[in-house]
Amino acid sequence: MDFSFTKKEEKFRAELRTWLETNLPEGWLEGKRDLPEDLDEYSRVLRAWQNTLYEGGWAAIAWPKEYGGRDASLMEEIIYHQEMVRVKAPPLINYIGIHMVGPTLIDIGTDEQKERYLKNILTGEEIWCQGYSEPGAGSDLTGLKTRAVKDGDRWLINGQKVWTSFGHVADKCFLLTRTSTHPEKKHRGITVFMMDMDQPGVETLPIVQMDGQSEFNEVYMTDAVATDADIVGQVDSGWHVLIALMLHERTGIGAELFTLEKQFNDTVELAQQYKVNGRPLIENPAVRQKLANFYARVRGSLLNYYKNLTTTIKNGQPGAETSIDKLVVTELHQALSAFAVEIQGHQGVLLDKDAVADPKWQHLFLASFGQTIGGGTSEVQRNTIGERVLGLPKDMGR
Amino acid sequence: MDFSLTEEQEMFRGHIRKMLDKFGGTQVAREMIDQNPQNLKKVYKTLAELGCSGINIPEEYDGMDLEALDLVPTFEEMGRSLVPGLFMETSALAVPILKKYATEEQKQQYLPAIASGEKWISFAALEPFNDFSPAGIHCTLQQKDGQYVLNGTKTLVPEAELADAFLVLVRTNQEDQEDGLSLLLIDKTDALNIEKQSSFDESKHVAKMEFENLVITQEQIIGEVDKGWTQLQEGLLYFNAALSSYIVGAMEQVVHMATEYAKIREQFGQAIGRFQAIKHSIVNMKVNLEIARSLSHYANWVVDTEEFDREAAVYSARTYATEKFIEVSAHNIQIHGGIGFTEEIDCHLYVKRARYYDQYLGSTPFYQEKVVASLGW
Repeated sequence: MDFSFTKKEEKFRAELRTWLETNLPEGWLEGKRDLPEDLDEYSRVLRAWQNTLYEGGWAAIAWPKEYGGRDASLMEEIIYHQEMVRVKAPPLINYIGIHMVGPTLIDIGTDEQKERYLKNILTGEEIWCQGYSEPGAGSDLTGLKTRAVKDGDRWLINGQKVWTSFGHVADKCFLLTRTSTHPEKKHRGITVFMMDMDQPGVETLPIVQMDGQSEFNEVYMTDAVATDADIVGQVDSGWHVLIALMLHERTGIGAELFTLEKQFNDTVELAQQYKVNGRPLIENPAVRQKLANFYARVRGSLLNYYKNLTTTIKNGQPGAETSIDKLVVTELHQALSAFAVEIQGHQGVLLDKDAVADPKWQHLFLASFGQTIGGGTSEVQRNTIGERVLGLPKDMGR
Repeated sequence: MDFSLTEEQEMFRGHIRKMLDKFGGTQVAREMIDQNPQNLKKVYKTLAELGCSGINIPEEYDGMDLEALDLVPTFEEMGRSLVPGLFMETSALAVPILKKYATEEQKQQYLPAIASGEKWISFAALEPFNDFSPAGIHCTLQQKDGQYVLNGTKTLVPEAELADAFLVLVRTNQEDQEDGLSLLLIDKTDALNIEKQSSFDESKHVAKMEFENLVITQEQIIGEVDKGWTQLQEGLLYFNAALSSYIVGAMEQVVHMATEYAKIREQFGQAIGRFQAIKHSIVNMKVNLEIARSLSHYANWVVDTEEFDREAAVYSARTYATEKFIEVSAHNIQIHGGIGFTEEIDCHLYVKRARYYDQYLGSTPFYQEKVVASLGW
């Protein structure tokens, strides 16, 4: 057992830290971290940040050097996330491109596709979204009904996607479509297209979330056009492409855990500042017990992540047990933000400029309800853990 | 970074598991219910032969001079089979205290005998109608006619009948309520008044001990007089790291039992493990186990370092383990249904042990306060 970082890893951290100090937007480190409310302006600022990352060589560190990455090790990716969380870096607007689409193209894309797309992903020139969920296909993605039909030398796509993140700013969509029907084997007959979002047949409508934000869209496709060159992998083999893609998103949960740890420390500060009957809340034994309980759970999930990471490093790829990390971090985030709102007393409901504490716990609390649904619901994670880690039988429906 | 046990540590686990399986796993604990400690004694003899009892004892006292982490496989495997006895009290409580505070003579007297498996040490702390805190200790050591005499009563002393010696927490100063305690090491003699108590965890024996003008010599006092509570904390760190390992081993067996039963038990024409109500309940048990394991492995690593979170890590590992052990062992009965409510199936042994350890040497709130205080909050 060894929790130290190697000299090379420490050098990597120092290099990134120095780079961030000189390249983060002006005033960012001092706390000037407000991003524009206006969508176009927001997207412009974040594209610019993505380009700054690219120019510094920090946009996609896990990619191979020949495609503009750094061949970063898993540990270097972990350090990267730690440092980004430490400075509360602006969000990566092309997250899907960098962490999912890019690595998948590097893995199974054609030379033409690599040439055409990879650099634009790095620079932020082309932002990607993913078109998976549909009104009738949530946890069961095989129920998707969006159809792609060959029409001469092109494909015509018709259907509707929902919960498409960044859909409103995206230039390209990593789109799951049905190209043939197999009632017995529903995961067959799915094809992945890289679809242009900027075309007459594609319409996006923002979804207003319960927290007032609009990070997701509905995407309507009416005779939207794609070509053979836009297909990732083979026709009808999209399910394999999807699985390959998911394996590439290898350290995202780590980033969420580091954020959670930071938010826990903020909660402690909140309990130190907030007073009940003139005394700091943190002196209250019931609050102290709850903080100790959260401390154990936050540390435990982080350590468990390190344990699984060690296994991943040794085996070369993540196992099903990583579903435990996703389940734990999202449920814990929900519980922690609820606690942070609770300890603010009635003022816990005050929003935005009226909120009494920073960070804005109210938004984190409201947003946390989406975390146990998106990216595989907690129930789906529990099925995965039950069936693939414990070896319990699948239920009759699947 | 490498957050895993070494191959050697895992290999060692294999030896211990094989040995305990040969004794029938929980059979050893079940025989204790029938007041038959013969196999338990054999298990302890074998553990000593395998070198387990000398793992964390310095070489100059015939030990292997290894670390807390090297004891993890032993404790996890013992927990898996709920092996009772004084291994943890001896190796993880008495040994760290002796190493840090005992005189050279005391070390010579006890450490080689512990390493060889000749001496097992119990811990007498709790007193009737009192809690585990300095103010709860009233057993008094007084100087009378040029010698020390001990008076008072201890309750819930583990496996007193099997112990070769007792570490005893006593009051030596009535003024100092923060501490004013001292640690004694008393060899088992016929002069000691030991009375078995009945507990619902019948596989873990406990006894009441009464001291009436028992003469104690200076050589039996461990460390500084009136600093017993402070010195005990060092032992509690190692003990709780060990306890979290023992519980992780027990939880692992509980999750295994529930999983395997859900695969073979059929109702409504299918294995009950297909039903999400059952499946998700077992998954929650598994998640709790894995988090407990990660906390516990880290606790056993950090306890031998000077990291800032040494105390917080150990005590959060303990509280998480004791709380979740109760939860998973209870769910295990529910998943087994009617058969889980019988004496025949092991489920109940784990629930009872979970309750035993939950309040042993401090409660969950006691340790939660330590976590928060140690972080300066």
